Amino acid sequence: MAGFVVALVLLYLAPVVLPISEYLHNIVGLTFMFMAAALAWNWLGGFVGQISFGHSAMFGVGGFVAVRVTLALELPFLVAWLIGGLLAGVYALLWGHPTLRLRGPYFSIATIGVGEATRLIATYWSGFTGGSSGLSLPLAENPTKYELYWYGLYLLAAAVAISYWLRRSRIGLGLLAIKEDVEAAGDVGVNATLYQDVVLFLSGTVVGVCGGFYASYQAFIDPQDMFSFDRSIGFILMAVIGGIATVLGPIWGAIVFVIIQEFLLANYSELYLGLYGVLLILIILFEPQGITGLAQRLRRRIRRPARPPAVAATAERSTV
Amino acid sequence: MNEVFTLAVSAILLAGFYSAMAYGLGLIYGVLRIVNLAHGGIIMASAYLTWQLFDHFAIDPFLAIPIALVVFFGVGVAIYLGLVRFLPRGPAGAVQSLLLLFGVWLVIRNIAYLLFTGNEQVIHTEYATSSVRILGASFSVARIAVFGVALVALFALHLLLTRTYLGRAIRAVAQNPDSCTLAGINVERVYVLTFGLGTALAGLAGVLASALFAFTPSFGASELLKSFVIIVLGGLGSIVGIATGAAVLAFAEVFSVYVVPPYLTSAVGFVLLVVVLVLRPGGLFGQRVLR
Amino acid sequence: MPIELKLLDDTTDQAKAVNLAQRLITQDKVNFFLGTYSTALVEAQSTVAEQNQIPYVTGGGAATSIYAKGYKWIFGTLAPVANLADTEMKWIAEQQAAGAVPKPARIALVWENTSHGKDFRKGVQDFTAAHPGDYTVVTDESFALDGKDFSAILSKVRAAKADLFMVDAHLPDFITMQRQYLSSNMCTKILTYGARGTESDAKAALGQTGVDYILSAVWWNKQLGNSGLNKEFVEKFTAKFGSAPEWYQALGYEAARSLFTAIAKAGSVDRAKVREQLSSLDMDSILPGGKLSYPPAKGGQADYPFVVQQNLPDGSSPIIYPAEVSTGKGVAPNPACKG
Repeated sequence: MAGFVVALVLLYLAPVVLPISEYLHNIVGLTFMFMAAALAWNWLGGFVGQISFGHSAMFGVGGFVAVRVTLALELPFLVAWLIGGLLAGVYALLWGHPTLRLRGPYFSIATIGVGEATRLIATYWSGFTGGSSGLSLPLAENPTKYELYWYGLYLLAAAVAISYWLRRSRIGLGLLAIKEDVEAAGDVGVNATLYQDVVLFLSGTVVGVCGGFYASYQAFIDPQDMFSFDRSIGFILMAVIGGIATVLGPIWGAIVFVIIQEFLLANYSELYLGLYGVLLILIILFEPQGITGLAQRLRRRIRRPARPPAVAATAERSTV
Repeated sequence: MNEVFTLAVSAILLAGFYSAMAYGLGLIYGVLRIVNLAHGGIIMASAYLTWQLFDHFAIDPFLAIPIALVVFFGVGVAIYLGLVRFLPRGPAGAVQSLLLLFGVWLVIRNIAYLLFTGNEQVIHTEYATSSVRILGASFSVARIAVFGVALVALFALHLLLTRTYLGRAIRAVAQNPDSCTLAGINVERVYVLTFGLGTALAGLAGVLASALFAFTPSFGASELLKSFVIIVLGGLGSIVGIATGAAVLAFAEVFSVYVVPPYLTSAVGFVLLVVVLVLRPGGLFGQRVLR
Repeated sequence: MPIELKLLDDTTDQAKAVNLAQRLITQDKVNFFLGTYSTALVEAQSTVAEQNQIPYVTGGGAATSIYAKGYKWIFGTLAPVANLADTEMKWIAEQQAAGAVPKPARIALVWENTSHGKDFRKGVQDFTAAHPGDYTVVTDESFALDGKDFSAILSKVRAAKADLFMVDAHLPDFITMQRQYLSSNMCTKILTYGARGTESDAKAALGQTGVDYILSAVWWNKQLGNSGLNKEFVEKFTAKFGSAPEWYQALGYEAARSLFTAIAKAGSVDRAKVREQLSSLDMDSILPGGKLSYPPAKGGQADYPFVVQQNLPDGSSPIIYPAEVSTGKGVAPNPACKG
C-alpha cells in the first residue's frame, strides 16, 4: 500500500522534475489510460475468469456519450467522462446480466456477438455517433494532451484501488469461488449473479471512462475505431502479457503493449501482428502468468540460496 | 412472389457456403471443447493457396479441393502436436486455447502479409460471372457449385462419423473421453485426427471462399464470427445442426432487408447469437453431440 | 532553402497516426506537415496540427467532414467525393439531353456506409435536387463493408426498375456485387461503382465483359499526361520509379508541390505566413481543371471536377468527361443490355 502511494506521488511529480519530451509525456498519459482499461478488463477476465471479447463496446459507449454530453450540455470534461462511464456500465449490465450465466467459451462467443452488433449499430446510428464520419470535440474547451497526463494518472489510481479492493475484500474470495466452480460457490452462500454483476458494472464503467479519456485525447472519435474488434483484443493482450488474474499484471502488459505499438511498429510495421502472435503463444505455453509470473520466477531464483524455495514461493504468491 | 423465390434460392445458396465455413469450427469444438480462433486464418491461408495453385499451375479452385484438404489436414495436425497438445483439458484449457489459437491466427496473417502484401487478390474463373436460369430467375453458377460441394461435404462427414470406426471413436470421445480411455480408444490420437480434420474443413471453406470473393490477409475475420453464430444456432457440436444453423443465419440475413436496413444485415446474426445463447444455450434445436 | 523530409509509417492505426504527428511536431520540431492517407486517420491527425498551429497539407483525406470543423491549418488536395458523383451526373445529363437515357431517369443509389459512400450519395442527391423532374431516386440503401451476399439489395434494385445503378463501393464489395449483378442477369442503362472498375484487379476478377461499360471517376488519371505539367510529371515519375503514376501518387505530388510553392512565396518557414500563402494559393496544377487552390469557403479543401472514364470492350478506359480532357467517347445506354 505504501509502495503504491509512493509510486503515485513520484509519477505525479515526474513530468515537473524530469526533462522528458512532450511526446513521451503524452504517450505516458495515454498509457495510464490503457493500464486502467486493462486492469478493468482483468476484473472480469482474470478474477472471474470470464474472457470478454467485447469490451470495446463499453469503451465506445463511454467515449461517445462523453462527447455527446460535452457537445450538448457543455459540461466539464470530467463530468462528461463520468456520465459516459456510468452509461457504459449500465450497458454492460444490460447485455452482461443475462449472458454471464454462460461459462467459458459460451460467454466469450456471446461477447464477440455483443461487440460486433454494437459496432455495426453504432456505425449505422449516425444521429448519435456521427456514423462513419465520427464526432469531433471543440479544441478550445478540450483538455490538452499535456494536462491529460495527470487525469490519466488519477484514472489509473482508481483502477488500482478497485483491483486491490476486489482481490482483498470478501468479494475477492467470492470471485475466486465463482471462478473455481459457480455452483459450489452458490452452495457456500456466494451470490454469484450479484457478484458478477457488480464486477461487470465496475469493469464496464471504468472502461467507459477510459473511452471518454481517449475521446478527449484524440479530440476526434469514430465508431469503426472505438468499437473495433482489435480494440477488444488489445485489452486481452495487455492483461495476458502482463499476467492474467494477477492484481497488477495488466499494468506491465499495457507498458509492453504501448512500447510495441509506439516504438517498434513505427520501424517494423509489417511484423507487428506476428510479434503479438508469437508473444501470445509463448506466454500461454511457457508462462501463463505472463510478465508477473516471469518476475516471480526470477525473484525466486535469486532468493533461492537464502530460503527454501517452497516457502519463498508461497510467500511471494500471497503478496500478489 | 418472384422476388421471394429469388431471395429464398439466394439464401439457400448462401447457406451452403456458410455451413461449409462452420463445419471445421463445430467439429473441433464438439470433440475437443476448444474454440479454434485460428479458424478464420486457415480459411484465409487456404484461399491464398488456391490462388497460388490457380495462378501458377492453372488448377481450377474446385479441383484444388483435395490438395487443400490434404495440406490443411497436415497443418492442423502440426498445430495440435506442436501447440494445443500442451494445454490442460477442461475449463482452464478452454481459455488458454482461445488465446493460444488467436496467437496462431495473428502469425498466419502476418505470414500472408509478408508473402503476398495487403492487396486484394481474386481468382477469375470462366464461370465466375455466368448464370443458370431456375424457374425464370438467374443464379450464379459458382454459388451453385459451392452449395453442391458443401452438401457433399455434409454427407461425407455424416458418413464418416456414423459408418467408420474413426467416426464412432470421435463421437465416443466427444461424449465421454474418460470412458473411452477405459474402453481402449487412444483418445489423444482421436484428438489429433479431429483437429486435423477440422482444420482441413476450414481449408475447404477457404477454397470455396476464394471462388466467390476477393481476399486479403485479414480475410476470415467475419467468416470466423459468423461461424460462431452458426454453431451456436445449431447447438454447438452437431454436424446436421451446423447445416441447419447456417440455413437459419442465411435466411435471417437475406430476408432481414424487409425489416431492417441492408446495412444492418450482419448485425442480425450477432443479435441472434446473443439471444439464442441466453435463451437456449443448447442451440435452437437442443444440445446434441455429433449425431 | 534545404528541405528535410521525415517519413513515418502509421500502419493505418488511428492512435498511432495521432501520436506520430505529435512526435514529429513536439520532438522533431518539424515546420510543416504532409498528412496521412484515409479519412479517419486524417480526421484524427488534423486535430493535432490544428492544436499546434502547424500547416497540414494532405493528399489523402477526401471526406468533407474533415474540412467542416472550422479548422484554419488544414488543407486537402483531394476534391470531395460528392464531386465524383456530380461529374458523373453531368455526363449522364448530357446523355439524357441526347435521348440516350430516359427522362425522368430512375436512379438506384447504393452506397457503402463510410464517409466516402456518404459524400457520394450527397453528390447524387444534390444533383438530382438541382434538376427537378429529370431524375427520381427509386432505391437509396447503404451496406456494410465486406458483404458476402448482395442478392437482397440487388433484388430491390431490380424491382425498382432502375435505369441508372449508382453504387459507391471499395474493391472487394465491388467484385462481389458485380459478380452477383452479372449472374442474376441484371442490366441497367448506366452502371457505376464510384471510383471502381478501371483497375487491373477488377478486370482480373470479372473478365473484360464483366467490366464493360462501367462508368468510373477518379481524381487524376495518367491519360491526362500528354501535355504541359502533366506530361512532365508522368515522364519524371516513370523515369524514377519505372512505372506510370497512379492517382494517389499524383495527389501526393500535388500536395507536396503546393506546400513548397507556398513556402517559396512566403519566403520563410514562418508557419503563419505559409498558412496565409496556402490559403490564398492559386497555382497551375496537374489536376483536372488545371488549377489547384484551397478555398477558405470550403474549409481548405480543393474543389475541382473528377475525370470520368468508361471501360470499353477493347480493354481501354478512355476519359470521356470533361470534354476538354477527354481521350475517347462514352457509350450510353449500355449496349450489352438486350431489349
